[in-house]
Amino acid sequence: MLKDWKLHIIVLFFVLIGEVIGVKQFNLGVGTIALFPMLYVLLMGGIVSFPKLKLMNEVQMKRAAGILGISFLLFVAKLGSMLGPSLPKIFEAGVSLAVQEVGHVLGTIIIGLPIALLIGMKREAIGATFSIDREPNLAIISEKYGADSPEGRGALGVYICGTVFGAIYLAILAGFLGSLGIFHPISLAMGAGVGSGSMMAAASGALAVTFPNDAEDIALFAAAANLISTILGTYLCVFFSLPVTARLYEWLEPKIGRTRKEEAK
Amino acid sequence: MLEKMKVLVLIGIIAILGNWVGYGVAPVKALPGMILIVLFTVIGLGLNMLISKMPAVVWISLIALIATTPIFPGNEWIVAKTAEINFMALATPILAYAGLSLGKDLESFKKLGWRIVVISLVVYTGTFLFATLFAEIVFKLQGRF
Repeated sequence: MLKDWKLHIIVLFFVLIGEVIGVKQFNLGVGTIALFPMLYVLLMGGIVSFPKLKLMNEVQMKRAAGILGISFLLFVAKLGSMLGPSLPKIFEAGVSLAVQEVGHVLGTIIIGLPIALLIGMKREAIGATFSIDREPNLAIISEKYGADSPEGRGALGVYICGTVFGAIYLAILAGFLGSLGIFHPISLAMGAGVGSGSMMAAASGALAVTFPNDAEDIALFAAAANLISTILGTYLCVFFSLPVTARLYEWLEPKIGRTRKEEAK
Repeated sequence: MLEKMKVLVLIGIIAILGNWVGYGVAPVKALPGMILIVLFTVIGLGLNMLISKMPAVVWISLIALIATTPIFPGNEWIVAKTAEINFMALATPILAYAGLSLGKDLESFKKLGWRIVVISLVVYTGTFLFATLFAEIVFKLQGRF
């Protein structure tokens, strides 16, 4: 992984350009869109790795993905070092932290499943909406239904979408919702702890840009919420989310499901 | 493990440079904090190898958390040093690697139908929005904000 100097030089170059550009905010009238270095480097990387340009090969992309997994651990350690001195603050918000996790778990199903059925998805909807479909969730669904089942394909589809635009989408969503002034920055920070590393980083980054005075607390509570999602997520998924989504599907599908001859894609 | 440690050091160096350009923290000032962060990560990874029942992420968070709590000797120094590294500066190189790995998923992305793309947006919106909403309701009920 380390030998690929071209890869690391590109990253260093991107990071420096990104940090020089710095934070930019665009006012849309109703709210603002926050742009910041994390998003620039993600986009620049996406462009360079675009298959048609042939600047990078499959092996290098796989290497980059491997480094991503390891380097995220540093980010976790940094966030952990912010948790220690703030434990009293976190315990004070304990009830909110516990309840927000219920929101993370239910949030995908409550609006995801009905909309999936309304636009004509069949059993794919179960896999697509029972969770945010990151790696541990994919393992759960393929164990229960098989990776090539409709449920498995639904989960894999959302996984691919999440990889391609999840971080950017959540950053824009978080920054925009934050700028509306409806929610408190700490509530939004907890919302940002969705249980996926790059999405949490990007969403909490957007919030920190939107509320610069609360940047520390935002990182703190996003990290705490993300940790809860990571620890409880798998159990909740196996024992709650997946069975409940499957049941709800059986109940809702005859009511609002569309009849279509072709297989949902 | 050695390979992982080398990667951690490399990312640490890139992040220190980003932290310098973006947040004006001189590399010499940021170095002790970064060494500590790499150290927490390595200890967490080691524990994960010994007791693999908990994910590495949980071990690493736990180590970093304990080292910065008031019960740990020298915690004030550790907190001050790690605070020199801006969390955004550390996340930026990570997302650069994420970007550079995107190309491998673009082919499978192109094969997906529009429905799954729409639903993935709904799913991410739902999880973020409901968690935020639930947290906000509890804070409001407690009269916190």
